[in-house]
Amino acid sequence: MTAEPLALRIDGVSKAYPNRGLALAPTTIEVRRGEFVSLVGPSGCGKSTLLGMAAGLLAPDSGTVEAMGQRVGGPGRERAIVFQDAALMPWLNVRHNVEYGLRAQRVPKAERRTRVAEALEMVHLDRVADRHPHELSGGMRQRVAIARALVLRPEILLMDEPFSALDAQTRTVLQDELQRIWLETRPAVVFVTHNLMEAAFLSDTVYLLSAGPGRIVRRYEVTVPRPREESDPRLVDIRQDMLDRLRSEVNAAAGRGDPDLAPADALAA
Amino acid sequence: MTTNTADGGAPGAAGASRAARGARRVAMLAVRKLWFIALILVVWWLVTALGLVPAYKLPSPGDVLGALENAIRERELLGALWDTLLRLVTGWAIGVACAVALGLLTGAVPFLEDGIRPVLAGLQAVPTIAFLPLAILWFGFNATAVLVITAFGTFKPMALATYGAIHQVPPTLKMAGRAMGARGLFYQRTLVLPAIVPSLVTGLKLSWSFAWRSLMAAEIIVSGTTGLGGVLELGREINAIDIVMAVILIILVVGILFEQLVFARLERWVNRRWGLVGAR
Repeated sequence: MTAEPLALRIDGVSKAYPNRGLALAPTTIEVRRGEFVSLVGPSGCGKSTLLGMAAGLLAPDSGTVEAMGQRVGGPGRERAIVFQDAALMPWLNVRHNVEYGLRAQRVPKAERRTRVAEALEMVHLDRVADRHPHELSGGMRQRVAIARALVLRPEILLMDEPFSALDAQTRTVLQDELQRIWLETRPAVVFVTHNLMEAAFLSDTVYLLSAGPGRIVRRYEVTVPRPREESDPRLVDIRQDMLDRLRSEVNAAAGRGDPDLAPADALAA
Repeated sequence: MTTNTADGGAPGAAGASRAARGARRVAMLAVRKLWFIALILVVWWLVTALGLVPAYKLPSPGDVLGALENAIRERELLGALWDTLLRLVTGWAIGVACAVALGLLTGAVPFLEDGIRPVLAGLQAVPTIAFLPLAILWFGFNATAVLVITAFGTFKPMALATYGAIHQVPPTLKMAGRAMGARGLFYQRTLVLPAIVPSLVTGLKLSWSFAWRSLMAAEIIVSGTTGLGGVLELGREINAIDIVMAVILIILVVGILFEQLVFARLERWVNRRWGLVGAR
């Protein structure tokens, strides 16, 4: 434990859903200020559930979530979230979509205008500000969703598989953009994905989760300096290690081989 | 030069044949859409011309047209039409406003919706017109009772349509709004209300037809109120069957006009603005 102040402290949270049993076993994650953390794992490993609880949109059955030192009991201004489907408001144009959160938080009009312009510029959308979401490609819609979160100047940015629905090229471009934006603005990020390379490429820390019930099986620290390239052999190695670990997890779950699981807290890279 | 002439001639000929093809397609479409109406008119005319049914039971198409022309020239029917339309639009608007407000208010609080929604669903089982005697006892044998019944007839299907629409709002959209800090009235006004507009359009159309039914029934029963229902009832009393049928025709035409001019346009606008068509 460092003395550095934490952005997010998820302490022993668990969640069960009716008829589906335990989705997430008690889990502890700490995210430092400005740290980029990924949660990666197969479907049903509880990674989106974890994010939902960090966002204050889901209540944990046990444990607590603290954001910037405050107990989380709902959405808060220090946190912003980006979903897999951009979840834009179809009746608003790009500019008004980005402005929405500022209106909700009663930011004065003049300040709203400058902050919206700034956010749009950051994601290179200033030229389509007057278009409606259905006139945009999937990648552009996701850029709007990112701008909509950034405009709130969050200290914690929560991203729930934001690039999963995009084609491979668009995905690569947006990963690079996200790395650049994160280097410029430095919020703490919790990034949920099932793409191992994406997690290794973007993160300072990657938590590998396994399903049935969801739990952390390994923690990786990625110290490769930024800006990074996806082809970096060190990132490729980490990805391979994660893949091997996931395979043995799947085999264990299928009843073959040894589960080889240590308690999550004891797993440091 | 000769090739040039040939080149110049060919597109013109192609254009002409394209125009001819277009005209033929329109004609075919007209035949397909109108043949049954034409058949009805012919059979109707034949039945009356051959005297198969006495004229006091079924007037000829010409008689009905004459009655229509007469009534329009004497303005009384236009006045009745205006009164009815005004009542329809007012009653419908009141019903829609109440239904959407109640839907939003109780849709936001599960406890309220759980209690109120079954009652509304139950009320659907009672035809609106069954409440007319009650409305007459409360408001008198007058236009107010008719208006209340029209609004109530609108309200019931519209309230259920509003609930249905609220439950169709994508969960991530609601979560996104809440995560950005939208709450309370702001959340309802800027997120839920615009999000349900596309599905509300269906409810608007449905409740419009319910408003018409309730209004006509109420106008016929509460005779003495001005309006098309009153004219229908009067036509029955004085055995003026041509007027009765003329009024039915008017109601039919008004219905078609509203469907085409108001609702079809509204639907197109909503689909465009909300990106429901032409979405990539």
